[in-house]
Amino acid sequence: MNFSFFQPIFLIKLITLIVVGFYIIFTFIIFTQIKAMDRIIGLPHASGIFKTVSVINIILAISLFLLAIVIL
Amino acid sequence: MTDIFIAPKQNEKNKQKIQQVIHKSHMHVLSSFSKNPLGIRFQAQKKDESIILFLRPHLLTNLSWVSLGIFLIFLPLIIMTILPMLGINFLSSEIIAHFTTTYVIFYYLIVFSYVLINFLTWFYNIFIVTADRIIDIRYSDIVIHNVSETNLHHIEDVRYSQSGVIPTLFNYGNLYAQTAGATENFEARSIPKPKEVTDIIASLIGND
Repeated sequence: MNFSFFQPIFLIKLITLIVVGFYIIFTFIIFTQIKAMDRIIGLPHASGIFKTVSVINIILAISLFLLAIVIL
Repeated sequence: MTDIFIAPKQNEKNKQKIQQVIHKSHMHVLSSFSKNPLGIRFQAQKKDESIILFLRPHLLTNLSWVSLGIFLIFLPLIIMTILPMLGINFLSSEIIAHFTTTYVIFYYLIVFSYVLINFLTWFYNIFIVTADRIIDIRYSDIVIHNVSETNLHHIEDVRYSQSGVIPTLFNYGNLYAQTAGATENFEARSIPKPKEVTDIIASLIGND
């Protein structure tokens, strides 16, 4: 019987993936909030920049999640 | 019956005062104080409603989180320099090196989010004065945003406070607009030139 599931290294990897997963959800919340604020107040140049930055944040978070799956 | 005296309409009075206040200006994207800014729109803005004042907290109020952000950026570099001196090596084995890489990247993403959230909190905390009303847009903790507004004729009193060395030196302070009845009072925190803003609002509501 393989008890690798209960090894500490596996648990650390699992916890890391869960935490990064929550971070991905958080980055989506930031993106949604930026869109909501853009509807409330329209400021010149700001909307495009913030949306781009928040999308980059989402891409980086997803990339980290995939990287963690591969290398850990 | 003939009228002995016809009072000028309040709207006309206001329009005259507004014309005195308005100076066309282009707003810088990080501006904290702008009179009659161009290119700004807000939800529920009427067609002929012009923005007279656009206010945000003073740029200097960002100093604390900017300082902390810079410190957090350099913190892993400091740790990575100090720990090998103490004989601790985070890159001793392949598996530990992988964990270190993942956590360092994750750490920098969190720092990035911290900076972004603080910047957005400052950027979207806006106080707008139009010819008809004042609008207070508050944004905090990323999931909370609150928009309140009141007509100018509901405002009974407007005052400001400036306390402390730095606010006095850089001319920023808090503005309070007291409204009639059970309506929520308005507060704009750490706005630049609070005296000038108070004078403008007072002239608009006819308390000058």
